[in-house]
Amino acid sequence: MGGGGGMKVSLNWLKRYVEIDEDVDLLADDLSMFGLNVEEVTNLAPDFSGIVFGKVLEVQRHPKADRLSLCTVDAGSGEPLRIVCGAANVRPGLGVPVAVHGAVLPGGFKIKRTKIRGEVSEGMICSEKELMIGEDAEGIMELDFEETPGTSLEGRLGTSDYILDIEVTPNRPDLLSHIGVAREIAALYRRPLGEPERLELAAGSTFDLSVEDGADCPRYTAAFVEDVTIGPSSEWLKNLLTAAGVKPVNNIVDITNFVLMEMGQPLHAFDLDTLRRETIVVRRARKGEDLRTLDGITRELDREILVIADGERPVALAGVMGGSDTEIREGTRRILLESAMFEPRLVRRAKERFRLETEASYRFEREGDIGITLQALERACFLIRELGAGRPVPQYAESLADPGSIGERTVALRTKQANRVMGTHLTSGEIVSLLGRLALGATASGNNVTVSVPTFRRDLREEIDLIEEVARVYGYDNIGRESSSRGTVFATVSPADIRNERICAYLASRSFAEVVTSSFMDPEDPVKFGWGETDPRCRPIEIANPLTAAQSVLRTSLVPGLLGVIQRNSPTEQEGMRIFEYGKTFLRAQSGSGLPNEELHVAAALARKADPLQWIEQQRRVDYFDMKGELEALLDRLGVSTDVRMLPTENDNHPFVYKWVVKGRQLAEGGRIPRHVTGRYGIETPVYYFDLLIDALPVSARGELGYSRTSPYPLVKRDLCLVAGERVAFADIQNVIVRSTKYLESIRLFDYYTGGHLGESKRSYTFRLSFRSKEGTLADSDVDREIEKILSDLNRELQVTLRR
Amino acid sequence: MSDEIIDRSRPGEIEKRAVKAITEADTVDALEEERIRYLGRKGEITELLRSVGRMPVEERPALGNIINNVKRRIEELLETRLEQLASEVQEEVPFPGDPTLPGRSGWQGGPHILHKVLRDVKRIFFGMGYSLAEGPDVELDYYNFEALNFPPDHPSRDLQDTFYINRDILLRTQTSPVQVRYMEKHEPPLRIISPGRVYRNESPDPSHASEFYQMEGLYVDTDVSLGDLRNDVTFFIRSFFGMDAKVRFRPHFFPFPEPSAEVDMSCFGCKGSGCQICGKAGWIEIMGAGMVHPHVFRYAGYDPDAYTGFAFGMGIERIAMLKYGIDDIRRFLANDLRFLRQFWTESWAGVVE
Repeated sequence: MGGGGGMKVSLNWLKRYVEIDEDVDLLADDLSMFGLNVEEVTNLAPDFSGIVFGKVLEVQRHPKADRLSLCTVDAGSGEPLRIVCGAANVRPGLGVPVAVHGAVLPGGFKIKRTKIRGEVSEGMICSEKELMIGEDAEGIMELDFEETPGTSLEGRLGTSDYILDIEVTPNRPDLLSHIGVAREIAALYRRPLGEPERLELAAGSTFDLSVEDGADCPRYTAAFVEDVTIGPSSEWLKNLLTAAGVKPVNNIVDITNFVLMEMGQPLHAFDLDTLRRETIVVRRARKGEDLRTLDGITRELDREILVIADGERPVALAGVMGGSDTEIREGTRRILLESAMFEPRLVRRAKERFRLETEASYRFEREGDIGITLQALERACFLIRELGAGRPVPQYAESLADPGSIGERTVALRTKQANRVMGTHLTSGEIVSLLGRLALGATASGNNVTVSVPTFRRDLREEIDLIEEVARVYGYDNIGRESSSRGTVFATVSPADIRNERICAYLASRSFAEVVTSSFMDPEDPVKFGWGETDPRCRPIEIANPLTAAQSVLRTSLVPGLLGVIQRNSPTEQEGMRIFEYGKTFLRAQSGSGLPNEELHVAAALARKADPLQWIEQQRRVDYFDMKGELEALLDRLGVSTDVRMLPTENDNHPFVYKWVVKGRQLAEGGRIPRHVTGRYGIETPVYYFDLLIDALPVSARGELGYSRTSPYPLVKRDLCLVAGERVAFADIQNVIVRSTKYLESIRLFDYYTGGHLGESKRSYTFRLSFRSKEGTLADSDVDREIEKILSDLNRELQVTLRR
Repeated sequence: MSDEIIDRSRPGEIEKRAVKAITEADTVDALEEERIRYLGRKGEITELLRSVGRMPVEERPALGNIINNVKRRIEELLETRLEQLASEVQEEVPFPGDPTLPGRSGWQGGPHILHKVLRDVKRIFFGMGYSLAEGPDVELDYYNFEALNFPPDHPSRDLQDTFYINRDILLRTQTSPVQVRYMEKHEPPLRIISPGRVYRNESPDPSHASEFYQMEGLYVDTDVSLGDLRNDVTFFIRSFFGMDAKVRFRPHFFPFPEPSAEVDMSCFGCKGSGCQICGKAGWIEIMGAGMVHPHVFRYAGYDPDAYTGFAFGMGIERIAMLKYGIDDIRRFLANDLRFLRQFWTESWAGVVE
C-alpha cells in the first residue's frame, strides 16, 4: 500500500457487514460527500463482449488435423455454427462459452469468421485463460449451468466485484479496514452493521509473556493454535484477498491478512516450535543484536528499536515485520498469534530507519485501535477452526499497561457551541441521533450532550472533533443557506503592497516582460558570477535535503535567474529581450531567530537589440544608457531620484557595474554583466541589468502626492557650453548647477563630446537650461546673474569653464 | 508724430492682427518681417509705447502696463512660432506615399500570469473586507507545524514533504504560519489573506511543483460559522470563475481546521456533466477549508470559547491552470516568453453588455 494514504476495499467484502443496493458509482459519490474520498472505482469483472452461452451438438474429427475437431454448436443464431476446436474435452451436450463473429476477448482480441486448415470456423469456444477468468488453458471451459443458447455471458463468468480506492487521512486509521468503511456506509444510509463471528477466548493462559515498558507496548495479546495443518485457503478467502490486492500464501498467513483487512488490526503468526524458549518479551533491542526479517535482509538493532524477543533473541521488529527464523512454513504444527498495540512513534522510527513500510507499520504508526486486539485474535481463531487450519487453545495471554485504556472515553459537547460553529439551529436530541448513526453512544441533557467514544475512534478527543462529525452527518450542504458574513471587519490597505504592484505594472508598461523564477539557486552561481568573497551573496543558505544539487541553496540574487531565462529563451527570442522579476532573496542573518534576511528585490535585464527591426528606424544594440534610463525613470517614479548618489562597486570582476546609494544605504546595482560571466551562462550577447532593493526605498519617499501651483510667467532658455577635465563627472557638474540656481526649472544635456580639438583630457558638455520664476517675469538681468553664479561656482569647485 | 490721443482699444486691435499674422507666417523670413512690423524700432507696438509719454501723467502707468503685456505676448508667440518653423525646416520628412506602412513600434511587456492571477484574487478578497498579511518563506518548524496542530513525529507531517535548513528551520509548506504570526500580534476581529510562495520536497511533474503559490484566508470573530465560510468561499469562486459556478463542501480531514472540507466547484467546461477538465466527475477540487481548531486559538492566546473562526487555502497555479486551460504546472517557472506573452492581452470577458 505505501504511504499514499489509501485503502482498497472490495464491494463484495463490504456487503458481508452492511446491505448495499446502490449502484457502485452512486455509492462512491455518496461516500465522497460523506468525507471518504473515493479516488477510483475499478471493475474486476472480465472485460469481454459477444461471448454467449453455446451448446455443443456434434463433434467430428478435422479431416486434415488429428488434434482438431469440427464442432457444430447452437449459439442461438438460428443455424448452428461450425467451429474448429483444439480442446480434448469438447464433447456433445456440453454448455460452453462461445465467442461469435465480432466478439472481443479481454485484451482486445477480435473474433472473426475464418478458415483453419481448410475448414470454415464461425467462432471460438473459449478456455478460462482466454476469458481471463482463470489459469486453465488446457481445455475449453465447461459451464456448470444451463442457459438458452445465445444468451450473453457478460457479468456471468468470473468474479464480479468492484474495488473502491478510498483516500484515508492520518486521523482515521479506523478506515483502513472493511469494517471501518462498512460502519460509515451504515451511518450514511442508516442501515444496521453486521459483526463478524468470533470464537470467544478466555484469559488465563500460562504462557510466559512480558512487556518491558508499558509505554512502548500498551497492550499485547497472544492466542495459540495447535495441530496446525498448513495448506491453501478456500476459494472465497483467496478471492477476497486477491480483490483487495493481497497475494494469497497459505491458510494461516491468509487468515491473519484477512483479519488485518477486515478489522484493521495487524496480526503476526510465529511458529511456536522455532522459539528458542517458549517466552515472548517485548523490549528495546540491545546494541549489537540483529534480526533477519521476512524479506531476507539482516537488520542491525539498537536501543531505539522495539522488538519482540523469545527470551534469547529478537524474533520480530515490533509492528513492522517478523523474523524469517520463526515464520510459518510447510511443517508448522503450533503457532502463536500476536495481536498488539505499539507506540506509534517507535513504529514510525523503525519504518524510517529500515525504510520498511508494511501494512502493519502503516496502521500502527497511525495509532491503531487498542480495544480490538483480543477481538482480532478471536476472529482469527474462529476462521482457523472453521477452515480446518488448526485447533485454537481456549485461553489467551495478555499484557495490558492500563486497563482503562480499552474502555470508552467520555467527551462532552455543548449544543449551543456546535450551532455557533456550524451556523445551524440543531437541538440536543437531533445531535444525539446524528452521532448515533456513527455508532457513537450519546445522551442529551438540556444544552449538553455526553458522548461515549469507542476505542476505534481515538481521533475524537474533544468537543470540536464531535462538532465535525455532527456537521458531516448532518451534511455540509445543509449548512449555510441562511447564514451570512457580517461586516464586522473592514479591510486595511497595505501601502507597500500597492507600491510593489505599481512597480511591476510600471516596468511591464515600460515593455519589460515579467518572469517568475525559482527561489533555489545553484551553489555554483556565486562562483560563476564572481561576486567578491566578502559579498554576502557568496554565502547562500543551504537546504539540508535538496531535490537536486543545482537547487541546493536559496537564491541570494535575482540576477542569475534572469540570466537563466535569457539563456533558455535565446533560441526563440533572437532579436532582443527585456525582462524583470519581482521577488525575494535570502541572505544569512547575523543574529536573531535563526531565520534569514528575506529581501524584496526587483531586477531587470536587457539583451541584444534596443528596438524591434523596422523600416523607419535603424536597429540599434541595447547599451548601458538604455538600462540607466530605465532605472532613472523608475527611481523618479518612486520619488527618490534626487536623493540618490551613484558610486562604483569595489568588485574588480565587474568593471562596468555601479551602485546607487540613498542616505548611505545601497538601493540599486546595475551595469553590464561581464562577458566572461554571461559566457558561463551560455549567453553570447552583452546583458545589461539593474537590481533594486525595494526594502531600501526610504519611507519618506512614500509621502502622499500634493499639488503645487504652476507658474504663469514666461520661460527663459539659455544654452551653456562647458569644458571640464576628465576627472570631473557629469553628475557633479549637474549637481553644482542645480545647487547654484534659484530659478532653474529644467536642465537637459544635449551635446557631449570628448577628444578632437579639445585635447584628450577634456570633455565638452552642452546644457539647455530653462529658467522661470513663480513671482514674476524674469528680466534678462535676472537670468544673467543666475548664469554668472553657475559659472563661478563651477569654476571654483570643479575647474569647469565656459567653452570659447 | 502729432499730439493725437491714443485710442485705448488700439493695443488690443494691434495684438489681434499680430497674432493672426504670426500664426499664418509660414517661413522664418516671413516671421522676421512680422517681428519688424510690430516690434522693430519703428514697429507699431514700439511706436505705441513711445506715445505713452504724451499721455496725461495719471494715465501713463496703466496704459504702459497694458501695452507691455501685449508686447510680451507677441514676443512669446514669435518665439514659439519660430521654434515650430525651425523644427519643420530641420526634419522635412516627406509624408510617406503609403499610409498603411506600419507605425513605429517598440518591445512589448506585460505581467507574469501568476502575478496577474494573484492580483485578481487579492482584489476579490480586498473587496470582501480581507486585509493582506505576509510572512517569511523560511520559517520556524514551530509556526509551520507545531502551532498548527501538527504534533512532532505524527504521520500528518508526511502529507507535506518538507525542505529543511536544519532541525528547527524549514521552507514553509503552507502560508498558514503567517496566520499564526498575525494572531500573535493582533486581537480579533480579524479577516486576512496571506498569499505567498510555499515549498514541497516533491519531484516535479505536470501537476506537482516543488515551489508554488498558495493563498490562505482567515476570519476570526465572536460568531463566525461554517455557514459564513460557505458564503465567502462561494462568493470568491463565483467572482473568479463566473457567477453560474456551483460550490459544494466535501468533508475532509486537515490537521489545522476542524470541521474541515475540500471545496469543489461545478466544472466550467461541462457545467457538471463530465468532461476532460474535471476527469468526467463534473466537479473540480478548488481548495481546502474549515473552522479554526481550538488548539490553534490556544497557541495564539485566544479564548476558544469566546471566538470562532474559519480558514481556507488554495493553490494559485491550480486555479490559474483551471481558468486558462494550462496543462502543466511547470510552465509557470519555465518562463518561456512565448507562453508568458499569451496572457498580456487585456481581457474583459464577463463584462455585461
